Amino acid sequence: MNPRRFKTTLAAVLLLASTAAVAAADYLLTVTRPNTLHVVDVGARKVLRSISIPGDGIPTGIVLPEDGKTAYVLTNRFESIVGIDLDSGRQVFRADMSEGDLRVKSMFSLAVSRDGRQLYVHQIPTRLKRSEYESLETRIAVYNTADGIGARPVKTFPAPRRISVLAPGAGPDRVVALGWDVYVFDAARGVIDKTFPLRNWQREGIGEPDVLNMWYQYEQTGILSTPYFAPKTDALPGAPDAVKLGIMTFDLAREEMTLAEVGNAESAIFSSVVNPARRHEVFTVMNQIFRIDLAEKKLTQRLDLDQTYYAINISSDGKELYVGGALDKIAVYDTATLARIGEIAMPGGADQSLASMRMVRR
Amino acid sequence: MKHLRPLNHKAHSLSAPAADGPAADVSPMSIVGCTTTFDPGWEIDAFGGLASLCQPMEADLYGCTDPCWWPAQLADSMNTAREWTDGKNSALRDWRELQTLFPED
Repeated sequence: MNPRRFKTTLAAVLLLASTAAVAAADYLLTVTRPNTLHVVDVGARKVLRSISIPGDGIPTGIVLPEDGKTAYVLTNRFESIVGIDLDSGRQVFRADMSEGDLRVKSMFSLAVSRDGRQLYVHQIPTRLKRSEYESLETRIAVYNTADGIGARPVKTFPAPRRISVLAPGAGPDRVVALGWDVYVFDAARGVIDKTFPLRNWQREGIGEPDVLNMWYQYEQTGILSTPYFAPKTDALPGAPDAVKLGIMTFDLAREEMTLAEVGNAESAIFSSVVNPARRHEVFTVMNQIFRIDLAEKKLTQRLDLDQTYYAINISSDGKELYVGGALDKIAVYDTATLARIGEIAMPGGADQSLASMRMVRR
Repeated sequence: MKHLRPLNHKAHSLSAPAADGPAADVSPMSIVGCTTTFDPGWEIDAFGGLASLCQPMEADLYGCTDPCWWPAQLADSMNTAREWTDGKNSALRDWRELQTLFPED
């Protein structure tokens, strides 16, 4: 679809919403090779528009402010953040982090403030010398999104290594980071204000947890969640309960973390999402979809999938579940029954790889 | 390394991290880690089976090479072989076109 037609279509949807009290619709954003951002109309089960991101790929993380107007995409082999205006499809922001002999990458870790004014990026800088690489201290860089194309950090402050997810916290200067532990930064002061131990927890009978999370899907509830796997220190090796599966949830507005072991670890899980209609319910994905009841602390349903999906998200009414990432399609499931009710193919059969899938309500 | 003594700054920098402690920054994952073999698709998962391997293997190919998750088994498309998957947008259909890389002269 060309830009003018897309804009007209979206404007028509918005006009309908304002004049006939039609409910706003859910749009899903994802990315594929080669450096392409897709706007998916999940209700129509089709890709509404594909936007070519300027420059080199490969895109991964996507973050948006609350108004959902601009999508900030991490691309260029983790070295650039590009802001795309979703109405016009134009590049309105660009920060190329590497320059000269300084190579700067971000492993999936970016967040935009709810008002859209500040962009936070966890950076891993490396000095490329003539015969050696010098690993420099990791940091969070702050950009003013109004600086547009060619933006440079207005501020940086130290941050631990191994951070793979950032998210906006309770206030405009609060940034939540998921790494070996969960940190809440006060970006105004450039310091860690709170630390919620994960890897460094000291829990009776439960050992060091294993966490892998690089997918963003907190927008429907304001709750960041991730699966974790932790060994029971008093279990015999090889016993069914030797390793427990848990779900960490972090309420971004309240800055509160909860942990719940919900079953024995029987298979790997990559990403999870909290149901906005039933906040004690969590869905996870990799080779299966699991339904988890956090109130009862147990797995309540399991569905084997046709392939691996990395990323998951959910509709605003909590009725539809979307799984994607990895290969070239998004599958749609009914949250009530876990019946497969739809499938959306990516244009050209291109892979999503490590794409986040983000929901926008317009 | 016990019998080798660094003679210059660069050699010293190679031996220093182990003594200074930064090696603790790097740690393997036990459950949601990835292959330790040199033949992706033929490993077993953390539970001794196959159910937790990505299926098909190609579903995980770009997800692992994009962030250099398999740095020994696949090309470093983050840095030194950035074009390795260019024009091959579907791992499932295009994997035969992914070429073996050799050190440049």
